[in-house]
Amino acid sequence: MPAETLRYEREPARRVFAAELREATHHFKDGEDEKSPTYVLLPTGERCNRVLFIGSMTHKEKKGEQNVFYSVRVADPTGTFFVNASSFQQEAMTQVSKIDPPAFVAVVGKPNVYEAPDGRVFVSVRAESVTVVDKEMRNRWVLDAAEQTLKRIEAYGQTPDSQRAQERYNADMATYKRMVYEALTQITL
Amino acid sequence: MNVEIDPALAEKKLRTLVEEFGVNIPEAEKTVTENLAKEHNVATVPSQSSDLREIGTLVPGEWATVEGKVVGLSRPVSDSISQSGIIADTSGAIQFIAWARSNLPPLTEGRSYRVESVVVDEYRGVPKIKFHAGTTITEIEKDIPCLPQATKVADLRPGIASVRVKMVQEWEARHERILQTGIVGDESGTLKFTIWKEEGVERLEPETVYNIFYASVDEYQGRLSITLNGAKCFPEEDGELSVGIGGTTLTGAIVNIGPGSGLIKRCPVEGCNRVLSKRNYCPVHEVQNDFRYDLRIKAVLDDGAKAHNILMQKEVVEAVAGLTLDEAVKTVQESPLGMDDIFYRLRDALMGRYYACRGGDLGDTLLVKECTPLGFDGERHAALLNRLGGEINAS
Repeated sequence: MPAETLRYEREPARRVFAAELREATHHFKDGEDEKSPTYVLLPTGERCNRVLFIGSMTHKEKKGEQNVFYSVRVADPTGTFFVNASSFQQEAMTQVSKIDPPAFVAVVGKPNVYEAPDGRVFVSVRAESVTVVDKEMRNRWVLDAAEQTLKRIEAYGQTPDSQRAQERYNADMATYKRMVYEALTQITL
Repeated sequence: MNVEIDPALAEKKLRTLVEEFGVNIPEAEKTVTENLAKEHNVATVPSQSSDLREIGTLVPGEWATVEGKVVGLSRPVSDSISQSGIIADTSGAIQFIAWARSNLPPLTEGRSYRVESVVVDEYRGVPKIKFHAGTTITEIEKDIPCLPQATKVADLRPGIASVRVKMVQEWEARHERILQTGIVGDESGTLKFTIWKEEGVERLEPETVYNIFYASVDEYQGRLSITLNGAKCFPEEDGELSVGIGGTTLTGAIVNIGPGSGLIKRCPVEGCNRVLSKRNYCPVHEVQNDFRYDLRIKAVLDDGAKAHNILMQKEVVEAVAGLTLDEAVKTVQESPLGMDDIFYRLRDALMGRYYACRGGDLGDTLLVKECTPLGFDGERHAALLNRLGGEINAS
């Protein structure tokens, strides 16, 4: 049915470890339309418009004068996610304002690639939602992220997105396998 | 003109075709009849419209002749229809419609008929046969045996079917013409049932097992439902049946709780049930201050590859969030945030957590019947470590 294919489909939230997201520098828009979604290309070869991660909120800082926003750091076993919640994400901002680090948090948000004036490129996540969860949920997420990262590594070179990633990053999949392994070994029950 | 034929010879020819040449029985019958007719120089009845067919094999677009027993009559839905009902033989059952302008004699329930030249048609995927001015109806002496076979809920298709099910849930009727609506099910799954108000129809009793013969199964937006008007429903005394949920299971994390989740107000007008705005406004019945409260969650369950819309109704919300409707109403009356209090509470309790949701597919939304929180899975952890450890240590 044509109506079926025209229907808006929500972008899935990819599970990606901080160490991999940090390496993502290539972003692109799918289509010419102003409202076309933008994607960050993951080094293991998948486009990503939204992410879900669960980690420890280690640091929270209120920034800005007229336009107040929160800058937050969330750590997973592989590294750190940089998260922002501004007045454009009122809900997420209110949620963040009530959380005191350290705490396990689940973050849903959109990754963005920024270029600093000095030429450095970095990725941060604009939060849509930040909720406090427990350690068991964090461990569950590590399994999920591990499995989905492995799935990407196994399909590497066989999908158009991963071929594109190969051209852009030429990343060594063995490194990412090791990252997954180390993340798994850090789970303590 | 009558001709004498040798039944033994005819049978032998039939056997040869069926047993040696693998011809199906209707086709073999047709061939033998035609050959005999030719042999005796008599005209066969016009072939296309008078092939005697088994009811269970009818396909839309055909003309056919059937012999069957009328197992149910229903009130015609329109003045242009003089009679509607269900006709069955050993192979199955089908709805029939007789057009008023065809002036056909009415059929009587429980009697058997030969109906020549009917059109097989379909409406919303449900096959039906239509009697028109060219249709001939003859009552026949022999009783067409028809033992309805119960179909499992999971195997139902649009049309007429018999089921053995338990009534498990009654819903508030959303339309004044509905006598009763809710859920029936067997081990293989559940589906919605409807009984329209009509003389002589009865309600189903909750938690009772029924043998339902010749109910019509309809499909709407990919979902099946069963209508019991015209069907025969026999309660089983002390009938036992464990009802399975059936349907689909999705697992993932909740990544969005949509607007309209939490405590909501519904329009009290009978058969309406629409959600009222914050100012108690119903889009149809305007301001309604005598609303009733309800709980629901419209959310997105995301497995990392696809985002699925899910809908949880009161019972599921109460179980998964540990908050009853009564508590929610009480909270709202005392909280400065009002209804938003419940929304935030549910959001903070569910967002970013993993669940397995089982339920029925409503097209683009899963109507959740069972929602189980998922925790850490040690076996999966070990399996992943082994899979990677082996490779990494080897390299």
